[in-house]
This record gives sequence, structure tokens and C-alpha cells, in this order.
Amino acid sequence: MVTVTVNVNGEPRTASVPPETTLLRLLREQFNLTGAKLGCDVGDCGACTVMVDGKSVNSCLMLAGQADGRDVLTIEGLATLERLHPLQEAFEQLGSLQCGFCGPGILMSAKALLDENPDPSEQDIRDALAGNLCRCTGYIKMIEAIQGVARADGARPAPKSA
Amino acid sequence: MDKKSAVIEKQARLQEVEALLKAPAAAPLAPLPREVLVPEARQQTPAVRQRATRPDGRLHGLGQTKYIDDYYLPGMLYAKIKRAGIASARILRIDTSEALKMPGVMAVITGKDVPCNSFGPSLKDQPVLADERVFHAGDGVAAVAAVTEQIAAEALEKITVEYEPIRPVLDPLESLQLETPGLHAPNPNIYGHKVIRKGDVEKGFAQSYRIFEGSYRTQMVEHVPLEPHASVATWDANGRVTIYSTLGRITLGRADISRTIGVPMSRVRVIATVVGGNFGGKNEITTEPVLALLAKKTGRPVKCTFTRPEEFLASTTRHPLVMDYKTGVTKEGKILARQIRLVLDGGAYCSWSETTLGKACILSAGPYQIDNLYAEAFVVYTNKTMTGAMRGFGAPQVCFAYESQMDDMAKALGIDPLQIRLTNALREGSLSPTSQKLHSVVVRETLLQAAQRFGWNEDGGGNGAQS
Repeated sequence: MVTVTVNVNGEPRTASVPPETTLLRLLREQFNLTGAKLGCDVGDCGACTVMVDGKSVNSCLMLAGQADGRDVLTIEGLATLERLHPLQEAFEQLGSLQCGFCGPGILMSAKALLDENPDPSEQDIRDALAGNLCRCTGYIKMIEAIQGVARADGARPAPKSA
Repeated sequence: MDKKSAVIEKQARLQEVEALLKAPAAAPLAPLPREVLVPEARQQTPAVRQRATRPDGRLHGLGQTKYIDDYYLPGMLYAKIKRAGIASARILRIDTSEALKMPGVMAVITGKDVPCNSFGPSLKDQPVLADERVFHAGDGVAAVAAVTEQIAAEALEKITVEYEPIRPVLDPLESLQLETPGLHAPNPNIYGHKVIRKGDVEKGFAQSYRIFEGSYRTQMVEHVPLEPHASVATWDANGRVTIYSTLGRITLGRADISRTIGVPMSRVRVIATVVGGNFGGKNEITTEPVLALLAKKTGRPVKCTFTRPEEFLASTTRHPLVMDYKTGVTKEGKILARQIRLVLDGGAYCSWSETTLGKACILSAGPYQIDNLYAEAFVVYTNKTMTGAMRGFGAPQVCFAYESQMDDMAKALGIDPLQIRLTNALREGSLSPTSQKLHSVVVRETLLQAAQRFGWNEDGGGNGAQS
């Protein structure tokens, strides 16, 4: 067994798990965060996407031990009690998700993209979602939603750099 | 009080009670509205260009939707199924003793532990766990329940199965020729057959300017729902089983679960929730009876989630079709007669093959006015993953065949591919292959509008599309 302490959605959490446990299973089975989904367990479908230290990661391909001491953001950490994340709002408004199973992963990939590139082109968005499969084939509305959020953010004055 | 008056009094009281219990007379039926509000055919409905949101959209985006795999019940065990890995064989011996010795393994079952080892949405030809015969590589032969998924997976490797291989039948045409008894002896190999006859094809062919013959094949397709099949079974102390499942048709599934585990339907409760993609692939039970039996044996809830390879191996797929088309036409491309033979590769078990067979056969002539038609369809067993329902139930396969042949004929006759379709398209009042009179037929209008919208005639009558 290995003891892992991960900063999940801003809160340090600790669990003792067998060494072969993936970050995905740690989140789902130990921390009861079932937003990240198990779709293929081999890094093909992206349903398990979370952010580790600001980068989007297939949590089924990362061992829990590798996440020790790092910051993990899951879909559960995207909204606050007061308000939805703009991406969640846009996805809801446009009906971007159908069965919804790929949604948490897609949203985390989109968030990672916008954090890095606030003004992505359509191709940038497509590239960012390349690792996330949707079988209801709803990509178009997802891309529109992400574009919408990027544009709304772009309209605001850029944050002053430190 | 004498006996007689007591009886009378009792009867009077009963009448009083009866009058009280009697439901009030039903109100006279309200007359139906004379004018029923139905949008006119070909009218733009108000839904077009409207933005639609889903009632469950917010929870999806928040990651709060609970799919079956998100259920964790207290004390829950994890099940894994050992797959045969061989397309066709006789099972000689299954040894589960080593697996049972492993710490953390709580129960192992094989086909012999299943009270009634057969199920299916139409024919009951599929075993829950194969016990005597393996019909395709994805057949389950044993199941393990263990405290972790890892231990269950390791236990599968400790189970040894001795097979006597039997030559598999993989080609549907070979299966069609097989003499009885077929794969599922004593049942014949052809387990579904349909014929549609309209007019006289021989007469039509005799009058034809040219006759075209073509053979078309489509491949097997897996639904690949992003959410793998999953279920959790748990028993209560009164002998009732609750099964949480990704099942799309819970009522049908409930009957099959009840049959296979030998428990009355009133004691089987199936709970379905949001499904992470179905596409026709989650219309029948898979591991539910196995989990119910494992849960009963261990006295603990048991969950099983298919791995991605299991989705491909052990769930249903789209029927591959072999489609032979013979079509007689006039010089102008008008179809006078069409003869079709469809052979559906049904895989190891029937599943929804009969539905697929019917729909493929009815739609095999295409949206065309054909007075002389003979369509015959067979569905046969092969030693491959079973085929079942998938978006369209056989319609996309035949569409590939008849539209391919339309293109071939247009090219050979030197007719614009659009024109040959316009010449033959169904019209208002046309008769369908099964002689149903059709209304609101807009095939021609749709084709013409589509051709105009994407500029079909701009590059010389669609020659660009042909090259």
C-alpha cells in the first residue's frame, strides 16, 4: 500500500491504496468524486480527463502515487456553490451534452485549453478535444460553446500582468 | 331476534355498504375536439432554428449525473467474467478450484450454477454462461466475485478450461449452405426468413433493356457507447433482488433475469438511470443474471463493468450483410424489376435479428417505385459476436447496396445519378414494397432542393461526384 496526499479541488486529501491504483480510481473509489468516468482505461477516450498542476491529464493513465503532492482539479471543482463555470453554463445553454458521459472530460480539456490560450481558433479547440471521444457526435455544439466562452472572456479587459 | 330477520338485516346493511363503495357513475365522455391540431405536411415546424436545452444538461456539466458505474454500495464486491477466447468449441472441463483458494475471492460460478441457462429478446438461444458449448469467442465461461477488481481479474487467470475445438463457421454464405443440424442443433442454421413479392419479376426482366447484377457487403460495427455496460445486483432479506443496470429495455430485461435466475418477476426489481450512450447496444441483458447469482451466493452487492475489449467481444454489434441485387431497367433508367437476396450474418445468437431482418427486407428496394419486386432475406448463425439492434435496424446496410447499384446503373447508361433517382423516386400515392399506399411523399422535392442547395448541376451534372 502507498499513502498518497493529493490537493483535490483545493483541499488536501489522503488515502492509502495499492500501488497499482490509478489516479482515476483514487478519485472515484477513495474520494467519491465520480465525475471523471472510466470509458476505456487505456487513455483512448478521454472520459477520465482531469487537470493536474494546470495540465489536462488522462487520469486512467496516471498512478495515484504520481499525483502525490500535486494539485488536481476535477469536474466537481469547476463550479462554486454560487455559480456555474462559464463553460458549464455555455454547455448547458447550447445543449452541448447528450448522454453526458464524455462531458466532464470534455469540459476539463476545454478548461485546460482556455487557461493556456484564452483566444483559441476553431482548429485549436478541435486539437484540444482530439483526445476526447463523444459517441453521440455532439462535437459541433461543444466547439460553439467553447468559442462562445472564449469570445465573452476576450471582450473583458485583459487581466493586468504582474 | 329470529334467524330470518337477522339475515334480512345483514343483507340490508350489506346493500348499504355496497352502495357506499360503488364508484360514482362515470361522467359522460367529453366529445373529442373536431379539429385536431396537426401541423400541415411540409410546413416548417416552430422547433426549427430553436435552441434546445436538456433538463439533465446542468447535472451532466457538473459531473453530478450518476451512471451505474458511479454507484458504490456498502460491502460491494467486483465481478469479472472469463471469456472463452475461442470461436467454437465443446467445453470438456472447467476447473475453478485454484481461483476459489485465492484470498479475496468470495465466489466463482459457471454455467452449471445458472438455474435456467438461456435467454434472448426473441429466441432464447443465448446462455448466461456457456456450459457445454462455446459459440463465439466472447462467450462467458465462468464468473468471479472478489473484494477488488484486481483480485477478480487475477482469479480469472487461475481458472482453467479444457476445450475440444470445433471448426468455426465464420462466413454467412457458408452458414447458409450448411445442412441441418446447424450450429444450434437441432435448430436449423437459418433462423429467420422473409419474402416480399410484388408483381412479376420474370416478366419485368423480360421487358428490360438491360439487367444489372451486383453483390454488396457491409461489415460488423460495434456501438462503442462511451459508457461501458455496467450493473450492480443486491438482494434484500426477503429474497428480492434489485439490479441497477445500464439496460435500455428494463421490462424485457426483467423477464429474462427472472427466467434465468429462477425467481418470480415480482421479486426482481430493475433500476435504470441515465444511460451513457445506447445506440441499440443496451437493449438486452448481459451480466445481470450472473451478478444476481454471485450476489446471492456471497450475500453482498456485486458490480460488474465491462472493459472496453468486452464491449467489442461480448455485446451485440451491427449485422454484416451480403446483398445480391439484380435490377432490370429501361433505356431511360426506369426500374422495371428488382430481385434481391439478403443474407444477414446473425453471429452466435439471435438477439434482435428478426426485427433487423424484417426492416432490412422491407426497405431493401429503396425509396423507389418498383412494380415487380422479389426480396428474400435470411439470417444465419455464425461463430462470431452476436449481432443485434443498432441505429436503423438493417436500413443503413441495404441503403448502401441499392444506392451503390443506382450509381453503377447511371454510369453504365450515361444518365445523371440525380436523374435516375428522380425517374424512379416514390411519388404521392405510390405503393411501398409491402403494398402500403404512401402519403406525404417528398423524395423528389427533397432531392431537387438538396441538389440546388449544394450546387449539383454547377459542375456538369454531378460528374464531379462520379469521378
